[in-house]
Amino acid sequence: MKRAWFVARREWSAYFSSPLAYVLVLVFTLVQAGLFYFIGYPIAPVPLPGLWDGGQASLLTLFTWLPLSLAVVVPAWTMGAWAEERRGGTEELMLTWPLRPWEWVLGKFLASWSLLSLVAGLLVLPIAFSVHGLGDLDWSTVWVGWIGASLLIAAYTALALCCSALTSEQLVAFLVGSLLLGLLWLLRMLVGLAPSGLAGLLEAASPQSHFLDTAARGVWVWADALYFLLLTAAGLVWNTVLLERRRLQ
Amino acid sequence: MIAARGLCKHYGPVRAVQDVGFEIHRGEVVGFLGPNGAGKSTTMKMLTGYLVPDAGEVRIAGRPVLADDLAARDAIGYLPEHTPLYRGMRVDRYLEFVARMRGVARGARRAAVERVIERCDLAGYTRRRIQTLSKGYKQRVGLAQALIADPDVLILDEPTSGLDPAEIVRIRDLVVELSRDKTILLSTHILPEVEEVCRRALILAGGRLVADGDLLDLTGAQAARLALTLVGAETAVLEELRGIDGVLGVEGPVLGGQNRARYLIEVVDRFEVAERVLAKASKRSWRVCELRHETATLEQVFLKHTRGLAGVASPAEAAQ
Repeated sequence: MKRAWFVARREWSAYFSSPLAYVLVLVFTLVQAGLFYFIGYPIAPVPLPGLWDGGQASLLTLFTWLPLSLAVVVPAWTMGAWAEERRGGTEELMLTWPLRPWEWVLGKFLASWSLLSLVAGLLVLPIAFSVHGLGDLDWSTVWVGWIGASLLIAAYTALALCCSALTSEQLVAFLVGSLLLGLLWLLRMLVGLAPSGLAGLLEAASPQSHFLDTAARGVWVWADALYFLLLTAAGLVWNTVLLERRRLQ
Repeated sequence: MIAARGLCKHYGPVRAVQDVGFEIHRGEVVGFLGPNGAGKSTTMKMLTGYLVPDAGEVRIAGRPVLADDLAARDAIGYLPEHTPLYRGMRVDRYLEFVARMRGVARGARRAAVERVIERCDLAGYTRRRIQTLSKGYKQRVGLAQALIADPDVLILDEPTSGLDPAEIVRIRDLVVELSRDKTILLSTHILPEVEEVCRRALILAGGRLVADGDLLDLTGAQAARLALTLVGAETAVLEELRGIDGVLGVEGPVLGGQNRARYLIEVVDRFEVAERVLAKASKRSWRVCELRHETATLEQVFLKHTRGLAGVASPAEAAQ
């Protein structure tokens, strides 16, 4: 467990010295803010207006974008996490140290997850203050939304890390990760098209439903938190298995 | 200290390593030789616990290297081929990280880092990012990393490959110094390096262990001949030499400069016969100015053992 913490600390400092991470954060926050203020969320059956058009003191539009935008940002953030270890051979060296693979997986996850949650906070809080200045913002929706987003990020990060562990090519890791998370995002779109039995299943499996209907609206539901925790745990276990399998190549 | 038994590894249809077994005792420094693709790196990856063998077992200090308690891993310092390091990190931070990960106690970390920095001659480079270092210095960081937890066993995969001659000598000197208190397995293509550093060599070819022995025996077994040079051509010498027990045949005398005569003696056992030749020489008061073993060079031994087996292609190993 101690070693997971050491790994996380190393990863943190690696992210802080990575130009890619800074560019990613900048683009993510700017695009999200632009969408929130000016565009809204036009791709839903019931479109949400931008802040200036809608005039609602709520961050719902901002949170509604997250399942889709994070499906691109999280794989971009984690694409090198394992792929680079493999390409550079550091994976081989680490796996000969007295270290359990799950400790390494956990450390990498903690580093990426905590930083991405922090980035989400850097996005949400300034916007929340600006909305607060314009109208009557319910701050509990901000906090619950942020925590919900952080759980969403946890599940996305665990899955995207697995995609990085599948390959030594960062680009492949990114594309596979985005594809996987994009498909998860699409599940909710299919709910309306599927027969009723399947629709219930799709609804239950979709990360969107466990975030947009509850935490994004400021409603805390423990079942949704459990859903994300289970998805995260499944990702971490899969990642550990992938790492163990490197020994059998 | 290192015991490998029946190691096998396949990469798909390619048999990279087949039934390799050996034992290396505490304090030995063993050279690991073989052509490219012979399975050296794969064997080392199994010895260090990175790869799980398809069959066979590795024990380090008596414990299975893949055992759950990770105790065997504590005893190993490993420098893989191509020296993988976190290139973006500073040397001192990297070594501190390795010390943490390898379980060096908090209070002892600083001392451990300082010790390896001194030992690998890295002082003055500790605040540099690894990616800015020359290949030789990167190699020293790689060695420092392997040494930081003070392991009893060092497994070094081609530590001098790609270095310039001065750096090769430095790394070699360091290995010699380390050999005083460590058990070392060292793979290399540079045969003189083995002769300088190691007492024993393992030769791998086509995934199999084709030779394992003391360097003196390996090279001596090739051609057992003695060269004897005397001052003054004495007619009786030839007769006397032929009469010595264990002598198979004598060539000569070949007359050289300054009135010297040289004889080449084919023998059964070059050590025993050399003693008898000297005894005879002192009894007959020959003026011996040279008696030496005509041994094969390690190159000859290497080529003899690996001829025809060299090109077992192992794409997986080439890719790594």
